[in-house]
Amino acid sequence: MKNLVYIKGTKQGLVLQLDDQCAYADLLAELQAKVSDPALDGSVEVQVNLGYRFCTEAQQKEIVATVQSNEHLRVAKMRSEVITVEESNRRIQERQSETYVGIVRSGQIVKAQGDLVVVGDVNPNGKVVAGGNIYVLGRLKGQAHAGSNGNREAVIAASWLEATHLMIHDTLEIMTDELTVLSEQPEMECAYLHNNGHIIIDRLQELRYLRPEISTFKGGS
Amino acid sequence: MGEAIVVTSGKGGVGKTTTTANLGTALALQGKKVCLIDTDIGLRNLDVILGLENRIIYDLVDVLDGRCKVHQALVKDKRFEDMLYLLPAAQTTDKNAVNPDQMRELVMGLKEEYDFVIIDCPAGIEQGYKNAVAGADRAIVVTTPEISAVRDADRIIGLLELEENIEPPKLIINRIRPHLMKAGEALDVNEITTHLSIDLLGIVADDESVISSSNRGEPIVMDPTNRAALGYRNIARRLLGESVPLMTMEKQNQGVFSKIKAIFSK
Repeated sequence: MKNLVYIKGTKQGLVLQLDDQCAYADLLAELQAKVSDPALDGSVEVQVNLGYRFCTEAQQKEIVATVQSNEHLRVAKMRSEVITVEESNRRIQERQSETYVGIVRSGQIVKAQGDLVVVGDVNPNGKVVAGGNIYVLGRLKGQAHAGSNGNREAVIAASWLEATHLMIHDTLEIMTDELTVLSEQPEMECAYLHNNGHIIIDRLQELRYLRPEISTFKGGS
Repeated sequence: MGEAIVVTSGKGGVGKTTTTANLGTALALQGKKVCLIDTDIGLRNLDVILGLENRIIYDLVDVLDGRCKVHQALVKDKRFEDMLYLLPAAQTTDKNAVNPDQMRELVMGLKEEYDFVIIDCPAGIEQGYKNAVAGADRAIVVTTPEISAVRDADRIIGLLELEENIEPPKLIINRIRPHLMKAGEALDVNEITTHLSIDLLGIVADDESVISSSNRGEPIVMDPTNRAALGYRNIARRLLGESVPLMTMEKQNQGVFSKIKAIFSK
C-alpha cells in the first residue's frame, strides 16, 4: 500500500505531508497510526501540509485533533494549496480598491471591503468605513474607520484631514482640541496606528516610509 | 403641465413656510398660476402667514380621504386674482394620516392645472418629510448661516439625492445678517455653499419686517421696497429661468457681494 503520510524532520520541527488523492477516511486512519508511533517522543511542533486536498473547517479540526492525540505533538501551522472560490473572492475584495465619487453627507455611511477612495468631501457626521486603507481626495470632516476587518496596518489619508473621529482596526481617536497630534495645517496628512497603540497623524509624504507595502507600483525607472 | 417644488430644510425654524409663502406669492405676481400645499399636518402655519386661516373649510386629509374634491379644499387668495391657491394641512390629525403614494397622485393632478405646485415640508426626516417629497420634481433646501442648520441641510441633501425622481436640490440661505458674516461670527455664503456643494438659488436678508408682515398675514414680497422681499423676488425669477445676479442687499456689504459674485462667475 502506498504511503499516505510522509513525516519529514526540519529545524523547526516535523512536517507532515498528507497525500491529497486518497480517501479522507483512509488518510485519517493512517495519520492516527503514524502519530501513535511510540518512536515519536519529545515535544515537537508540527506543520501539516494538506497539498491539493480541500478540507472543510471541521475536517481541519479533526486532523489537528488526530495529530494532537499524541500529547508530544502540537500543530503550529496548516498549509493548503487550495482555497474555496468564496475565500478567494474575499481575498480579492480585500485587496481591491473601491471608488466613491461624491460627497458623503451627514448620516451617510460608505463602506468598502478593501481600500476606499473618496473623490469628494466627507462632511461632519458622514462616515467612511473600509477593510483596507481610506484615501479622501477632498476634505475629511466626518468619521473614518480603516482596517475594519482587523488590519492594523491600514491608514487614513486625506487632502484635508480634519476628521471628528478616526478609527484604525479597533483603536478610536476622538479629534479634540487637547490632542497633541493635531497640526495647525490639516492639509495633505495621513493617520496610522503606531506601535504604541495610539493613532498618529503625520504628513502624507511620510507614508511611503511608514507603510512601504501600500505602494504596489512596479514599473518605471 | 406645471412642476412641483418641495421646500425643505431638516431643521425647524429656518424659514421653510415663510419661503414657501413668499415664493408662491412672488410667482403669482409674475403671472404664474400657483398652488401651495401645506404638508405640516397637525402644526399648520402656511395659512396663517398667507392670512387665509379664516377661509379654510376642507383640508389636505379631507381631500385624500375622499371627503371632498380637491377644488373644494383649495383656498383662493383674493389679492392675486386667480393666481394663488392654498391647500391647507389638517390640524386635527397627524402626519401618519397621509402616505407618499396619495401625495404623489394628488400632486400629479394639481400639476395639470397649475404652473407651480409648491410643497411646504415639515421639519424632520420622518413621515411628514417622506410625504412632502413624494410628488416633487425639484427640491429647494432652506438653511440659515448657523452650523446646526447647515448640518441638517447636509443630511436632507443626502436624503434628497437618493430620491430618483427629484432633480439635484438647490439652496436658499435665509436670514442672512451681513454684519455678523462680515465679522466672521456667522458662516459666510461661500463657506456654506462649498460645504454643501449644491447650487445656490438665492440668499435672503434677515429683516424684522418679515415677522411683522407674516403676523399681518401679508407675505413680505408684497412690499417691493423691502430687501428680504427682493431676495424672494429674485429667487422666483431664477425659478422661471431668468439669470438674475445675486443681489442688491450686499451693496452695504461689499465683502459678501464679491464672494457671491465669485461663485456665480465660475
